Amino acid sequence: MKEFLDMGGYALYVWPSYAVTLTVVVLNIVWARRALTRSRAEARRRLIAQGEPQ
Amino acid sequence: MTWTWFHRLASPPYAYALAARLTPWFAWPAALLILGGLWGGLVLAPPDYQQGEGFRIIYVHAPSAWMSLMVYTTMAIAAAVGLIWRIKVAHAVAASCAPIGASFTFAALVTGALWGEPMWGTYWEWDPRLTSELVLLFLYLGYMGLRAGIEDPHRADRASAVLAVVGVVNVPIIHYSVTWWNSLHQAPSVMQLGKPHMPAAMLVPLLMMLLGFTLFFVALLLVRLRGEILSRERSASWIREVVRA
Amino acid sequence: MIARVPPAAGTLASGAPALSRTAEGDVPALAAASALQAARLVLRRDLQLAFRKRAQLVQPLAFFAMVTMLFPLATSPELSKLREIAPGVIWAAALLASLLALEFLFRDDAQDGTLEQYALSGQSLTWLMFAKTCAHWLLTGLPLALMAPVAALSLGAPGAAVPGILLSVAVGSVTVSLIGAIGAALTLGVKRGGVLLSLLTLPLSLPVLIFGARATQLAISGSPYLAPLELLAALAVLGVTLAPLAAAAAVRISLE
Repeated sequence: MKEFLDMGGYALYVWPSYAVTLTVVVLNIVWARRALTRSRAEARRRLIAQGEPQ
Repeated sequence: MTWTWFHRLASPPYAYALAARLTPWFAWPAALLILGGLWGGLVLAPPDYQQGEGFRIIYVHAPSAWMSLMVYTTMAIAAAVGLIWRIKVAHAVAASCAPIGASFTFAALVTGALWGEPMWGTYWEWDPRLTSELVLLFLYLGYMGLRAGIEDPHRADRASAVLAVVGVVNVPIIHYSVTWWNSLHQAPSVMQLGKPHMPAAMLVPLLMMLLGFTLFFVALLLVRLRGEILSRERSASWIREVVRA
Repeated sequence: MIARVPPAAGTLASGAPALSRTAEGDVPALAAASALQAARLVLRRDLQLAFRKRAQLVQPLAFFAMVTMLFPLATSPELSKLREIAPGVIWAAALLASLLALEFLFRDDAQDGTLEQYALSGQSLTWLMFAKTCAHWLLTGLPLALMAPVAALSLGAPGAAVPGILLSVAVGSVTVSLIGAIGAALTLGVKRGGVLLSLLTLPLSLPVLIFGARATQLAISGSPYLAPLELLAALAVLGVTLAPLAAAAAVRISLE
């Protein structure tokens, strides 16, 4: 296990690389879902403003 | 007939519904492939003869770089379709691509720098591939900046579409830069036709990661696309059904 | 609503024009002309109007001179060291100065409705964009190409390098004007679009910068510089065929 974490001495480069990429992946998921939620809320608000029956 | 399929895709309510239905079909396989690729790349693959364990960065760097180019190409094609045939859904696709592509270009640059330092002795080099990848990041940012700067959404769609199409020349430059110029960056080892240079135990996880990230991109695109479609449909009646859900 | 008093086709604008911007080449003459004549009219109009505001003309050139001056003061006054960075300094300064001038390329025409008239005139907007780009190059690129050797000399370049520097900046700035016209058209009407214009134009101008700086560097060191110069020319030819088209499309979009 320790050898795994050590990555043959390259740990300082390997693990931050994976961390950065994982962060980008997670952020993308969060942003995409948030963008969709926001668009839906905005669409709902517009419909209410236009006086559509909810 | 194939063209009716294409025309149906251009219809916002159809595209919205299809995007919602298809997302899990891309999201879950993506997750499985990425997790499998990570396991294969970090644990199962043997260390490299020259680079030792450090080569494992390839399993995040190569997919990120692949994403940066593939997403831009998708964005440019969608932009062109939107410009030529005036299809709002196509513009919505292009808009959805940009933040995804920009973030993975950033990841490619950072992971590349982290790989370059132990292997070449430098975090950065102004060689053609690195420089044009950086340029790609600026193209994404410029695209998003232009969209943000134009108030009318229809105009923003079309102006940024022109920009995306004009900037697509950068993509082949990045890809072929390592063959056209003597570059610090290694020559393509996976994308060459013929015998790949990597042994299977190393190659298979890499292919899994590349495919997994691609499917992940499609899933993200589908989620963002729905939001983009909604924001372009001001008062269509089909939104009522969707939003109430 | 701006009241336009059209001059009779083929006559010069009167000495006391109804609008300060009236000049030969106003729209009625435009619609009747052939494509090449129309382009020439637009070119002449842009040049005439620019010369009326000479102060505005000089600004990018003064900017170029100032930026070039920053480097000996900021780094080292030693000519041998300056000679090494001279190509980069000249090209960066020239690019930035061109960008400054690009903001004015469409601004006035868009504000007073001339650009709309161009789009509606029935003339090929591509040709008119080409004409406007030519005007921009004649007013900015060419003067910069003439100033660049002087700047290079002040940075320690040998006199023998002058032709090479002149040629490389002259040819390279053509492409910069062409690409910049696309960016200027896209950012028309964007508030404070100047920075965005730079952000869009600079990445696309990088090949010009790379080859241009290389040609200048070879000229300064006395080596043959034909190869990068030919590449610059090739880029310019590519730009001439494609850029005005993209600029015309961008203008139409911006006018929607």
